[in-house]
Amino acid sequence: MAKAAGVVLAGGRSSRMGTPKAALEWHGSTLLRRVTGVVARGVDGPVVVVAARDQELPDVDAHVEVVRDVLDGRGPLQGLGAGLAALADRADVAFVCSTDLPFLHVAFVRAVVRPLLDDAARTDVVLPVVHGYRQPLVAAYRTTLLVAVERLLAADRLRPAHLLDECHVLKLDQSALLADRALAAADPGLDSVVNVNDPDGYAAARARPAPDVTVECFGVLAGAAGRGTRRVAAATLGEAARARGLALGPHVIAAVNGDQIARDPDLPLVTGDAVAFLSADAGG
Amino acid sequence: MTRVPAVPGGYFGRALAVDVTDGSADVLPLGTQVLRDHIGGVGLGAWLLHELAPAGADPLAAESPLAFVFSPLVGTPLTTSAKFAVVAKSPLTGFLTDALASSHFAIAGKLTGHDAIVVRGRAPEPSVLLVDGDGVRLVGGGAVWGLPAADTEDALRDRLGRGWRVAAVGPAAERLVRYATISHDGRHAGRGGLGAVLAAKNVKAVAVRAASRVGVADPAGVVGAARALRARSFGPATAKYRELGTLANLLAFNAISTLPTRNFSAASFAGAPRLAAEELAQLRTVARHSCASCTIGCEHIYATGTGRRVRVEYENVFALGPLCGVDDPDMVLEASRRCDELGIDTISTGGTIAWAMECAERGLVEAPWLRFGDGAAVLRAVDEIGSRTGLGDVLAEGSRRAAASVGRGSEAFAVHVKGMEMPGYEPRTLPAMALGLAVNARGADHNRSGAYEADLSGDLDRTSGGAAHVAAAVETEDRAAVMDSLILCKFLRRAFDHPFAEWAELLRLVTGWDVDEEELRATARRIVLAKRSFNLREGWTAADDWLPQRFLDTPVTLPSGRTASLTAERLRAMIDDYYRIRGLDQEGRPTTAVAGKGTAR
Repeated sequence: MAKAAGVVLAGGRSSRMGTPKAALEWHGSTLLRRVTGVVARGVDGPVVVVAARDQELPDVDAHVEVVRDVLDGRGPLQGLGAGLAALADRADVAFVCSTDLPFLHVAFVRAVVRPLLDDAARTDVVLPVVHGYRQPLVAAYRTTLLVAVERLLAADRLRPAHLLDECHVLKLDQSALLADRALAAADPGLDSVVNVNDPDGYAAARARPAPDVTVECFGVLAGAAGRGTRRVAAATLGEAARARGLALGPHVIAAVNGDQIARDPDLPLVTGDAVAFLSADAGG
Repeated sequence: MTRVPAVPGGYFGRALAVDVTDGSADVLPLGTQVLRDHIGGVGLGAWLLHELAPAGADPLAAESPLAFVFSPLVGTPLTTSAKFAVVAKSPLTGFLTDALASSHFAIAGKLTGHDAIVVRGRAPEPSVLLVDGDGVRLVGGGAVWGLPAADTEDALRDRLGRGWRVAAVGPAAERLVRYATISHDGRHAGRGGLGAVLAAKNVKAVAVRAASRVGVADPAGVVGAARALRARSFGPATAKYRELGTLANLLAFNAISTLPTRNFSAASFAGAPRLAAEELAQLRTVARHSCASCTIGCEHIYATGTGRRVRVEYENVFALGPLCGVDDPDMVLEASRRCDELGIDTISTGGTIAWAMECAERGLVEAPWLRFGDGAAVLRAVDEIGSRTGLGDVLAEGSRRAAASVGRGSEAFAVHVKGMEMPGYEPRTLPAMALGLAVNARGADHNRSGAYEADLSGDLDRTSGGAAHVAAAVETEDRAAVMDSLILCKFLRRAFDHPFAEWAELLRLVTGWDVDEEELRATARRIVLAKRSFNLREGWTAADDWLPQRFLDTPVTLPSGRTASLTAERLRAMIDDYYRIRGLDQEGRPTTAVAGKGTAR
């Protein structure tokens, strides 16, 4: 069983935005693709998207699962229940977030999940509190809370606060969050919790520069794209490749921070990432 | 020499079996079904070993055969087809070993009129075996005994004539170093100690001279296929080999925690940039060569610190550099050159020295001069291995035997599979490769199981293995079995979009057989199981399909902060799944007879 999984709630009405937030363009990709990708990089288990029953979703990574709310219009607690149900027996804890978080950082996901993993059983929820606001939709939940969630849903007590009221919650304020050195370096302003709710907010967010990442090309790619490490602004792997004159494909692959090998141009990058572009023709 | 009409295109339908005890020779008919079932190269070699090797014989005993095996594609214009396999029971592992080498020896050897040349017996004195259209002769080898293989080749061709092509062993083989190579034109049939097997027969070299021609079923079709394959060989799938050679792996592997370092105690090496092809190619390249019939040209020749020339490959540099903690390119290149000169496998040399370095640092061997990071110590160790002097006498036995000799817990960090030292692929960050290394018949080998390709494809989880990795390991092992039997260079492998179907078509054009993808896949499985079956006969047990404990105890932490782990439980599950897919029983044994008996089915 995985230790930590992810749940991305995509079923909201997006009424103020006027268009589904999940499908909003983000550096050639979509917000949903970005958020699911960032969450996937922060956990070791599956990532589940919870959507409304008839909601059309943009493409997500093939490894991301999609489940549907049984009932529409019952808010995030319904989505949380659907997500936790999908993860039953597959993960101890789940990082749960909405789909409208363009600046969510992998380090934030890890910083929020870690206290729950480190704590044997006493804590049920790790709840960030940023700028005085509780952030239940950028938080970590123990998957065993499914029972409590279903009980609340059955009683039509649909506010997440009801759940928080009846379980052990570890609150992490700014200083507690930024005590995590990786997070402090990557997201000192805690922009991870900034969501976009209307067209102006989206436009402002989209106008921000792409994350600052470092890129290095190896082997024959270094001959074409130049040797050494360079800093580029790139929100996706594809943007980083283009910045070095490369195109991902059968012969060009990449590793982000020395981790999994990737060739998906929509793979989200976050500030501080180190991208290695490699020839796919390994071996000797 | 006239071909028998019934023999399919690309073949002579016979092997030559020479007993060097008295210089006598027999012709062994190879029936069409045997050829079709095993193709050539390592497949036919495995079959020959089943037929000709006495069960349980010491690999260095006179009665143990060593076979040079050609293939139906040798002599055609198909790029990279000028290759030959050398097959014998390994003095390093005690199991089957099959190593490939390239170039004119393959063409001349086949055109002696034989699909294989098998050497048995023991010559009464150091000798050279000559095979050509005039038959078999054994001539004195005293004048070349003690010479490096390359010098032996030159001396013999000067003496015999330029039409002769020579495969020879170096001084280390004469001293029965268990990982000594057989070399031709600077390329080595490198792994498993085949040089020691040949030298144990008092044979310094085998010289061959073409004496015949071999036809193909569809000459125009073969020419057309060769033209198309040649064009693809210039494409992006081979760019790495052309432009930088396999050393291009080193810095990339370092970036993804796949570069074995300090006897596999780490997966990245701070000194890697000093040894990188991206750095050295500009400073050191003095030439680039191709094997005969090859359009890729992967051989990158560098200058050592003293201006001598050395052929550079990733495995040489990994094993004599990072694996021993050495980042001085002058030292690493010189160590590689000396290995070539002595005729020893660089991977086993570096792996055994790295084990000895760890022993020395733990106080288990009395060698205070032998420390990780000391390039001069590596050079001294290489020389002592080649001469079997000092500590080299025990290191010449390979890490498994050396650890058994030293004891005191040193077996725990002798990093080998079946006695063969590990190549430069960190198994904890390459789960499919980990399985391939564990179950392969030859031992820890990256050429018979190229599963790293699947791990690095982007399609598989690199931190934890499962069913998809098992399927990938089986597929790449099958592909290798066919490529190594046809024989085509693996550097060409990504130039094929539908490999089994395309290889079947090449085989059809050459032989005239109506072979298709399905048959070739069955042939691959047969060859893989034939090797396993041979090993089973020689005492293999399921315990031999395993990885060193070092990999199972300690995960690798990636730069991302995540860990890649390979637990014993997970490895066991992958091996069990591999056995199931291969149709083996729970102990990894073939459930049906897989190796043919009789020579003319």
